Amino acid sequence: MIDSIFGWIRGLFGRKKRVCLGLYGAPNAGKTSLANKISMDWLGEPLGEVSRIPHETRMVQQKENVRMRANGFELSMNLLDMPGISTKVDYRDFIRYGLTLEEAQKRSKEATKGIIEAIKWLEKVDAALVVMDACEDPYTQVNITVIGNLEAREIPVILVANKIDLPKADAKRIREAYPQYPVVEVSALKGDNVDLLYDEIARRMR
Amino acid sequence: MIEIEFLSAEVLSQQPGAKKIEFLVGNLRKGKILVLEDPLSLGEETRLIEATMKKVSPNFPGIEIGTLGGTVIGNGGEFRSLRESIIRMLGGKPRGLTVIGPSQLVQQIKKDPESLSWRAGEKTRR
Repeated sequence: MIDSIFGWIRGLFGRKKRVCLGLYGAPNAGKTSLANKISMDWLGEPLGEVSRIPHETRMVQQKENVRMRANGFELSMNLLDMPGISTKVDYRDFIRYGLTLEEAQKRSKEATKGIIEAIKWLEKVDAALVVMDACEDPYTQVNITVIGNLEAREIPVILVANKIDLPKADAKRIREAYPQYPVVEVSALKGDNVDLLYDEIARRMR
Repeated sequence: MIEIEFLSAEVLSQQPGAKKIEFLVGNLRKGKILVLEDPLSLGEETRLIEATMKKVSPNFPGIEIGTLGGTVIGNGGEFRSLRESIIRMLGGKPRGLTVIGPSQLVQQIKKDPESLSWRAGEKTRR
C-alpha cells in the first residue's frame, strides 16, 4: 500500500533521472578510455588509468552525478567502469608485458576478483554500454553471455564499436553479430563520434 | 593426451543449481574438455565464470566456453528462450550443446551462430 502511494508520488515527478550506467566488455576493449572521455566531457576530470596491459581496471570505478546533456535532454548518471570480463586470467600473460613474477601474480589475483565484482554488478546497473574492440571478433561467448544477462534483466544495452580509428576496425561485424542492438561506432581515444553515443544514450534513457 | 567427456542431459539434471556448476568446475580442473548435451543457460554460464574465477591458480588459469543453440539473445527478457521453455515443459530437449575446456588446453575457438570450431592441445610456453 505504502509502496503504491510512493510509486504514485514518484509518477507525479516523472521518471527516475539518475541512472547507473555500466561499461562492460572484454579486457582492453577500451572501456576506461571511453569512461575517461565521458567523464572529461561532463565533469572535466578522468575516471581511471589506461594501460596496454590487460586487466588494468581490477575494481569497479565510479563517478557519481555525471550530468550529460544531449538532444535537449539532461541525464544525471553514476558512471561505472567495470573490470573486463573474461573466462581466464593467466599471470604468465602479464609477465610478457614486463611485469615481475610477483606483480603478475598480484595482478592476476586482483583481476579474478574484479571479474566477479563486474558480474555481480550486472543486476544493479540501469543501463549498459557493451564496449567491443572493432578490430576483434565480436561473436565471443563472453560478449554473448554479458549481453544476454543484461537483456534477461531488461536493462537497455547499447553496443559501442570502439577503436574505429584503427585500420583493421570493422564495425560491420558487430552489427551483423548483434542485429537486434543499436551499435555506435566511436574512437574513445580520439573522441570520434562520441557525440553520437550521447545522442543514443539520451534516446534510450528518455 | 586430451580427455574429452560427453555429459548427457540426465547426468547434469541430477546436479541441480550450484552443485552442477561445482561439478563442471571440478571436472575442468582435472584437465577434461566437457561436451554438454544440454546447453548451459546464460545465467549458468555467468555462474560458471564466477566459480571459475574463484578457483584460478597457476595450474588452472581459467576456461574457454562455447555454446551452440540453447538460449537465444535478442528475443527479450528470459534466461531461456520461450521456445526452449516449451520444449522442456513437453518433456523434450532443446537442440544445442555447450563445450567447455581448461584454457591451457584450448588454443583457438571459432564461433558463429551455426558452428563452433575448437583447436585443442597442450600449449607450449617460451
